[in-house]
Amino acid sequence: MKFFENVYTYDYSFPAVTLAYFLRYPNPYSRHVLTTDVIERHIDPKTHRLHTTRLHLKKSKVPSGILKLLPKGMGGSDSSGQSYILETTIVDAKEGWMETESRNMEWTGILSVVEKQVYQRQLLEGALDNLAGFALDDQTSEQTTVKTTVTFRSRLGQGKLLGWRKTDAIVDHNHDIDDEPAPKKGFFSSLSTAGIQRTIELIGVNRTRDAILKSKQGMNVVLERLRSGGIVGVLEGMRQDREAAFSPEGGPWKRVWLRGNALKDDDDN
Amino acid sequence: MAASIAPECNEVKEKYDTCFLKWYSEKYLRGNTSSNDCEELFSKYKTCLNKSLKDKGIDTMIEDARKGNKESDAEHNRRS
Repeated sequence: MKFFENVYTYDYSFPAVTLAYFLRYPNPYSRHVLTTDVIERHIDPKTHRLHTTRLHLKKSKVPSGILKLLPKGMGGSDSSGQSYILETTIVDAKEGWMETESRNMEWTGILSVVEKQVYQRQLLEGALDNLAGFALDDQTSEQTTVKTTVTFRSRLGQGKLLGWRKTDAIVDHNHDIDDEPAPKKGFFSSLSTAGIQRTIELIGVNRTRDAILKSKQGMNVVLERLRSGGIVGVLEGMRQDREAAFSPEGGPWKRVWLRGNALKDDDDN
Repeated sequence: MAASIAPECNEVKEKYDTCFLKWYSEKYLRGNTSSNDCEELFSKYKTCLNKSLKDKGIDTMIEDARKGNKESDAEHNRRS
């Protein structure tokens, strides 16, 4: 088990940061995110908190460093190059906090990565106590801190490989040369199991350091667009990102942009 | 706005997302938490999405992930 922890402060108000969180894909740092869907959303009638569950499809590969540690055939068999991430968020607008959690849904036996974030409104001195006076682009009176904790857990070789369907493959005792599964569980029941788990967890930590930096850069791009152009500005930015990412014509996304533009009438900016 | 995993749902998702953003920024964040302006659109979007998730077999994977994660969390909490 490995942990990664980080605290960061956005120079933007809490409402803006939460809006940016829901709006953060696509951005120039999220080319690996293919799709995002809301699979569940409701307001708790007692607490008035907004609960959201989203499903993200991301381009990803099992890192080559991890592949080298796996018995041959494992890790490469289901190489669609895509992975599903389940994200849950709870927003309490009144108390000024948001909690998020993201998990990988596949390969959890090899490496389960759970990212938790707590966003917290920070009122600066002299700021209005009254939330009714907030503005999405008001960055002088409020900051938002986010504490990120990522947990890495490899259960490789522990017999119970959750999320790993082809359990037969793990009895392979020599990962370098063997093509056929060996009858014994030598490789995984050996003393090196803990070492392999640690190595896999460490590779996960290193990749996450980079991913978290990118996600903050992405959030800041979205927040800056929000500040300078409101929601319309964000949607325009997304359109440009998409054109840059896919085709010079823009294709079906032009339609999206036109529809998004309808918000303009309601925007004060 | 981000694309849907089900291309056939993109149009209704787009409408829902737009509705949500407006509601979230103009109502929810300003303390009006009882309104549910986008309920109808969400229901349409969900109908479309759920069909696709089922066809792709992702619905059971989501259920499994939730179950599996609960189990592994319980396991972890016992140990520590």
